[in-house]
Amino acid sequence: MKRFLHHEELARDSRFIRQDNAQSTVLATMPDDVDTIVNAFEQFTPMIEESVRGTAAEALFEAYGPGFALTILNEPIDPDAPAGLTRLLLRMHGIFVGEVQALEGAARSLWDFPDAPWEFKMNMARQAWDEGRHVQIFEKLLTHLGGAVGMFPESTFLFEAACSDDPAMRVAGVNRALEGLACDVFRDMIKYADKTGDEKMRQAVDYVLADELTHVRFGSEWVREFTKDDPEHLKRTQEYRRSVDKQFSFGGARSDREDAAIPIAWEDRIEAGFTEEELKDLATLSGEGPTKKTLLEAARILRENHLEKRRTKESAATEEARS
Amino acid sequence: MSEQRMYPGMSPDEKTTFAPYSAFDIPADLRELSGRYDVESMARRCRNFRYAEEWMMMMLGGWVATIPELPVKTGLGKVIWETAQAADVLGSRLPELRCGKKAVDASESANEGFAAVIQSISEPERPDLTIEKLVGPFDVLMPHLVDVYERTMRETDQICDAPTIELLDEIVRKHRRHIAWGQEVLDRLCDTDALRERRRARVAKLNDELIGCGGVTGTLGEETAALN
Repeated sequence: MKRFLHHEELARDSRFIRQDNAQSTVLATMPDDVDTIVNAFEQFTPMIEESVRGTAAEALFEAYGPGFALTILNEPIDPDAPAGLTRLLLRMHGIFVGEVQALEGAARSLWDFPDAPWEFKMNMARQAWDEGRHVQIFEKLLTHLGGAVGMFPESTFLFEAACSDDPAMRVAGVNRALEGLACDVFRDMIKYADKTGDEKMRQAVDYVLADELTHVRFGSEWVREFTKDDPEHLKRTQEYRRSVDKQFSFGGARSDREDAAIPIAWEDRIEAGFTEEELKDLATLSGEGPTKKTLLEAARILRENHLEKRRTKESAATEEARS
Repeated sequence: MSEQRMYPGMSPDEKTTFAPYSAFDIPADLRELSGRYDVESMARRCRNFRYAEEWMMMMLGGWVATIPELPVKTGLGKVIWETAQAADVLGSRLPELRCGKKAVDASESANEGFAAVIQSISEPERPDLTIEKLVGPFDVLMPHLVDVYERTMRETDQICDAPTIELLDEIVRKHRRHIAWGQEVLDRLCDTDALRERRRARVAKLNDELIGCGGVTGTLGEETAALN
């Protein structure tokens, strides 16, 4: 078996639908400019349409156009909002596939780095078990909410972005950036479950959040160990983690801004071993994306353009049938 | 109970004055002070066992991303962790067997043949080879390890080497559960004659290699002959 796997090689059963990662990359690097965002999404429309075909996201695409993700990512999950359940399921499914890739990332570290210290292997083996349980937990929560595996396309952006060939960068990307993001998302999900009185979800996600803090600690310890006596390596590793953090801030949707859909879970992150300085840096870099106002305006234009195209297509089809 | 016996002490001036009581009437310890392995050879066995456990854990970790069946992916997570724990406790026994404090992560293949068996087991990579992947650990390697661990527990000195027996006992208990899980998965995956044949052929090939190199300790032939 070779070392280091490309994200396209991640094996899935027939229920899963793979989405091109380009869309996630664009979403992560957008400037605060309505026209640029609209143009980028218009360019990716055929790809987005293809990736949602036959999935539960097809209805969202038809209703909101190619920018439906902008609305979903930039509005807090609200049970009373239109399409509230579909949006909740989309987020839950995103977490579920994220856990699958986290399992693969941790387990793969055991094979990719055979000469790593034994304690590192023990930590990664433990994390593989934890992530395996998380996959099972989120599959059950998905069913609990009326969803199913494969109802939305899967992007392997998480594995692609975080699974570096360098062990220090791998743990910085997976354990500090992505598990840190998981802390933010899960704290938000717990708040949602509190609001809706969903005790099953609240308790399950609370346990998962506790595991994530441990995984962040693994990351903090191994970044220190792998870069010991090599400040240049530490600097590159920190830059790598910042770039993953930036990509997974979804243009400011996860940030410390007042309009953030997913706020930074400051207290959980402190408990997990992030320093105040690191969190201030995260708040700055994650808040640099386009404002919510810009994104919602872009989403509105994309929706109007999409509906206009649908109307044109429909009348052309009617005309053709008539002739 | 004799009224004359006093505990503890050997000579009258060492004896305390309290009378013996029922707690001292425990059944006699009938175990003999004898075992097949001395400290050095048991340390070598622990390093050999650790090599097998460590590599099994690593290859299972490598396969998770290449196996499409979701319940297999998630189920392997627990096997990986418990196999890592097995390697860990075997390593922690090494300093106790005079291998030095730093020996906790010492793994050693018994011979080049066993290292080659591990390579053979870890070879399958494509996503359509889940059967070939799982056969190695669950039909061949783990049953072999359980067999050798149980023989080691029986044959080693029951008093002097009790710590090794204790840790192997726990590893065997967990590996039996892993084998049951893995073989149930394989039974379900191999639901046609052709697939069952793939499983059988893979088992036969790996078993041949394993027997050829003398197994995890490299002494399978000698030990079997001695038993016969």
